[in-house]
Amino acid sequence: MIHILGRTWGLLLFLLFLPTDVSAQQNQDETVCIQCHGGIPGAIGAPVRQWQGSIHQRHGVLCFHCHGGDPTDFGLAHSPERGFLGAPGDEDVPKFCGRCHVGVTEDYFESAHGQALGAGGPNCVTCHGSHAVQRATSELINPQDCTRCHEYGRAEEIKNAIAGTEAFISSLEGDVAALHRLGIDTSRLEGSIFSVRNEFRRLFHSVDVERVRNETDNFQQQLGVIAGQVEALQAELARRKVWGGAVVVLLILAGVLSLLLYKSYMEGKEG
Amino acid sequence: MPKRIVDWLDLRLGIRDILEQNLTKYLLPRNINIWYTLGAVLLTLFALQFATGILLLIYYQPSPQEAFSSVQRIMNEIPYGWLLRNLHAVGSNLIVAVLLLHMLSALFMGSYKRPRELTWVSGFLLLNLSLGLCLTGYLLPWSQLSFWATTIATDAAGAIPLLGADLVGFLRGGTAVGEDTLGRFFALHVMGFPLLFGLLVAFHLFCVRRTGVSKPPFGPDYTPPKEHDRFHHEHHPGGIPFFPHYMAKEAGVISFFLALLVAITFFAPGLFIPPTANIPADPFVTPPGIKPEWYFLWAYQVLKIFPSELMGLAVQVVAMTLLALLPFIDRSPERRPARRPLFVALFICGIAIFVGLSIWGYFS
Ligand code: HEC
Ligand code: HEC
Ligand code: HEC
Ligand code: HEC
Ligand code: HEC
Ligand code: HEM
Repeated sequence: MIHILGRTWGLLLFLLFLPTDVSAQQNQDETVCIQCHGGIPGAIGAPVRQWQGSIHQRHGVLCFHCHGGDPTDFGLAHSPERGFLGAPGDEDVPKFCGRCHVGVTEDYFESAHGQALGAGGPNCVTCHGSHAVQRATSELINPQDCTRCHEYGRAEEIKNAIAGTEAFISSLEGDVAALHRLGIDTSRLEGSIFSVRNEFRRLFHSVDVERVRNETDNFQQQLGVIAGQVEALQAELARRKVWGGAVVVLLILAGVLSLLLYKSYMEGKEG
Repeated sequence: MPKRIVDWLDLRLGIRDILEQNLTKYLLPRNINIWYTLGAVLLTLFALQFATGILLLIYYQPSPQEAFSSVQRIMNEIPYGWLLRNLHAVGSNLIVAVLLLHMLSALFMGSYKRPRELTWVSGFLLLNLSLGLCLTGYLLPWSQLSFWATTIATDAAGAIPLLGADLVGFLRGGTAVGEDTLGRFFALHVMGFPLLFGLLVAFHLFCVRRTGVSKPPFGPDYTPPKEHDRFHHEHHPGGIPFFPHYMAKEAGVISFFLALLVAITFFAPGLFIPPTANIPADPFVTPPGIKPEWYFLWAYQVLKIFPSELMGLAVQVVAMTLLALLPFIDRSPERRPARRPLFVALFICGIAIFVGLSIWGYFS
């Protein structure tokens, strides 16, 4: 657990401060970055429109969280003293995103892709985009995007290697959402799935089929533990339904008996 | 042993006589129908509501920091807490439905008419008080749903000219829904309204018992009762005794409603508990598509279809006032629906408008 926390600390740290940032989300339009850039046509304004509706926007990650600068002051918005970083060059992107996505970036740098950074290798933005970033899925691995630099063969192999675990994760996520819908407190389960998912998805970034296959068992096991907890909850819910059903049947019986009794009283009175 | 206790009490209080007068010797019209059991259904559902409410109160914490987590604790840790909470939430919805049916039956059978005006008015106040209990209870879990639904509901008062802003401030105890809103809603929900409610129910039942149950205005042998200038209890000679005959019927109908309550509680609690009810309140994030509960949808839609909220509000006030004062407006003694075509037409239109507005509100 400590191990997992350590690896994802960047994100968790950010999420920890999220409540204050989400309040900023309401007032997102009030940051000077968006006010000024939103009004500029072309490449300088485009990021605002692309970023709207992205996973970052929905989680309250604003322009200045990535680019730095002062979001409250028109004059000092671009001031390096206020931490303005500008737009990163191609080779700087991984470190730029890696401030928050620590684990992914670690695996990325060790991979064939990371090693080839600056020599034809893809950086984060090549696959995810810079502003219109969406929730990542294995759909990102497809013949169209992965054949820009090499053949699809190895890409497909790695997609197959992660497919089983991906399916497991999404079915668990579905089950947990259904439990939460019924008012069950699923925050711990969600937390566990979140860390396993983070851990697992950074693995893809190693683009190392062997490593993915070797570590798959470990992930399946961790997910198995969570699945066990989910099943225990589902079993409990099913048990409740049996009891509830029995009570319903008894009440209907009581109702029918009472009405029969009433009928017999009435007939007695008639006769 | 029980006999000796009864003997002892009878000697001092004459309880046998009271029981006889109100049970076996209390006669109801022979053609009394199923609609007359709804009052007893309401009493049962409210008793259950009080019981579950008191038990919930043991663990509930009325502060913005703790409300949501205390409800989570009730749902997840306290033994049978989930049962209490779901029964209480589903029960409130069922009660509103039965209240409406009870009121509609009183309308259709014209039982609000003289001499039962006070029964009607006290019943109408009970309906409003029950809706007040629903509204105040809705905020208590301090979820996204409760927070934003309350914000929308209290916003409506702002449409009143001059007083509006002050009134909203008074309802909320501040400019926005917050700690003080929770405080006052909590106090009203668990103390203020239930006390008033108890008094009003007692008065309502007193009226019913004192005037005597009305004779259903159906069948060939129905004759309108004579008008009296002085107090007169409506007797039903040759009728059926309240106990055991009529009580058996009531027990039957009550059992069916309880079966419905338990069925929804166990098999479809989500029917009345939407997903946003499971997310803690966040004043900075407005969730999409917040709607009031089904029984307020008509009012919500009325506010939307008129060009100004003030007009919408005025229409609601007029409609509710008309309904409250109905026995003083519609004063003809005729109770048979077949001889009140205008009334029956209005009655059906009214239901259609209510249902239509609610559906419209739901999908808009
Ligand atoms: C007063 C208008 C204005 C404000 C406020 C503003 N920008 Fe800019 N920004 C511009 C213009 C114009 C450019 C393009 C010219 C330039 O590079 O200075 C630009 C360029 C940029 C670039 C690209 C720089 C590069 O190296 O290519 C980034 C990144 C950026 N802004 C981020 C921000 C952020 C983050 C904020 C808020 C903290 C912000 N801006 C506030 C007007 C503004
Ligand atoms: C998730 C991090 C992230 C966020 C949030 C973000 N950006 Fe960027 N932005 C980047 C990266 C990475 C680049 C450089 C790569 C590229 O050009 O696509 C970039 C480039 C830019 C550029 C230069 C574009 C060009 O074509 O020269 C501008 C201007 C800019 N961002 C403005 C913004 C504004 C305004 C916002 C807020 C609406 C914003 N960014 C939010 C990561 C981010
Ligand atoms: C300021 C911190 C921060 C920076 C910098 C940042 N992100 Fe994120 N990112 C987040 C947060 C917070 C989330 C939402 C949490 C989540 O669901 O994983 C997120 C989510 C994502 C996701 C979706 C994860 C998922 O669950 O599917 C992707 C993909 C992503 N970021 C890519 C990037 C890329 C590419 C960059 C660099 C251009 C970047 N991020 C820079 C904070 C950041
Ligand atoms: C911008 C160019 C580029 C894109 C786009 C790209 N790759 Fe690569 N990829 C490389 C380079 C460069 C290498 C290292 C040289 C090699 O082995 O061919 C590589 C190597 C690989 C390897 C082999 C790793 C190893 O250790 O043998 C895999 C697997 C791979 N890429 C998968 C993918 C997948 C999946 C995608 C699509 C999501 C993708 N690549 C998109 C440039 C790219
Ligand atoms: C070759 C394309 C490619 C590159 C380069 C790449 N990613 Fe990814 N990324 C993916 C794919 C595909 C997934 C989904 C993996 C899965 O479903 O298991 C993903 C998943 C993610 C996730 C989601 C993790 C989670 O917990 O859900 C994040 C965050 C992320 N990438 C960030 C980055 C960052 C930061 C970089 C740069 C250091 C980067 N990616 C580089 C393709 C890429
Ligand atoms: C809190 C909720 C209420 C309770 C507990 C309650 C209870 C009862 C009971 C036990 C009766 C006698 C049996 C019967 O006719 O059903 C009754 C009768 C009556 N109620 Fe209610 N009632 C409530 C709300 C209302 C409402 C909202 C109205 C209408 C606005 C209303 C109007 C009447 C009338 C007119 C009668 C007389 C029926 C007759 O004698 O024909 N009541 N009520």
